[in-house]
Amino acid sequence: MINTNKSNVSEKSKGFLLFAYNTVETDYVKIAEQCARLATHTTGLPVSLVTDSDTVTDYPFDHVITKENKLKNYKVGELGAWRNGGRYNAYDVTPYDETIVIDADYFVIDKNLLKLLEQDFDYRIMQKNNLPGGHWNLSMGMVGLPYVWATVIIFRKTKKSEMLFDLVKRVQRNYEYYRRLYHMREGNFRNDYAFTIANLILNGYDLNETQGIPWNMLTFAGVIKSIEVHNNLLKIREDKNAYVIPKQDVHVMDKGFLLSKNCQQMVDQLCDA
Amino acid sequence: MLFFASKNRPINSSMSELNEIVEKINQATDYQTNKRILREKIQTDLHVPYNSGLFKVTPELIAFLSSWHDAELFLEDTYENPIKIAREEFLTLCCEHYQQVMNTWHDQHEQIKRIRKV
Repeated sequence: MINTNKSNVSEKSKGFLLFAYNTVETDYVKIAEQCARLATHTTGLPVSLVTDSDTVTDYPFDHVITKENKLKNYKVGELGAWRNGGRYNAYDVTPYDETIVIDADYFVIDKNLLKLLEQDFDYRIMQKNNLPGGHWNLSMGMVGLPYVWATVIIFRKTKKSEMLFDLVKRVQRNYEYYRRLYHMREGNFRNDYAFTIANLILNGYDLNETQGIPWNMLTFAGVIKSIEVHNNLLKIREDKNAYVIPKQDVHVMDKGFLLSKNCQQMVDQLCDA
Repeated sequence: MLFFASKNRPINSSMSELNEIVEKINQATDYQTNKRILREKIQTDLHVPYNSGLFKVTPELIAFLSSWHDAELFLEDTYENPIKIAREEFLTLCCEHYQQVMNTWHDQHEQIKRIRKV
């Protein structure tokens, strides 16, 4: 169901689509609100939210789309859950012709993603991920396949894109089968793996057939103490490291930071600049 | 940790100094890491869309476009597609884009060179 206050979408509309499902421990919708503010400020594009019917938000999303999501994941030894299922719905529910799906913890701070919208393509997925210390070189399961990052997916409404999302749906519904097929270690459902498998099948198991975004994503996977904006630089303090980086898109995984006042201040500063 | 304490100073004072040192180390930022992150960002910024293709502007690309004799040609883009190019127009775009990104790189590199602490 789509709840919208806006006029009908015009031809070749473009926008961001965020998925956010709250858990008892984490207010993912609040994180998505900060993400949306920044994405709209940086690119001028509207942002729509996919969430469940329990969610209430005051943020003026372009559309709030209701899709129930029962999938819950847990990490061994840690409290808390996350609900990352249903990403395959993006194709059916997006109100845009050209959609940029991003994780709610991906901050759009530069305009590079917009360059991709000016090309001919069905879909593009983030393929390369860097940590501040270097490449995040992990492979999927014991078969060692390189995997894509579902953190950023750009797609148009084409037959091939539709097939991609249909395949992701199939993988999610039969995840235990695919997990065993690819000898994955992790038991929890991962969108990264589901999109990797779907992308691989769709491209005839050809690893050289690239649908990837040609640059690296920068991910901060550790605990973030603060991020400060200084002119055109970001000063980022982790528990044991500190970085000074240019204003650029960053993937920040620390949910504690994302819900902190400091994060809100960072977004305020970036939006005021 | 007790062996850090001298005979004349209480252990608490030494621990406090130690904590200060640890805090300073945590605040220190590594120039080489920052430099590498900045370079990665510049490599991203160097990409320019043109005629439904995506190109990374390099000195080689600019030199090639400068030396080519025909007004139109096909060039392979980042996604290995042949893209039709209006040479003069694309050369101007590449030169302007390259200059702008390199200026930004230089400015930001000068800034991070001076920063040792966050």
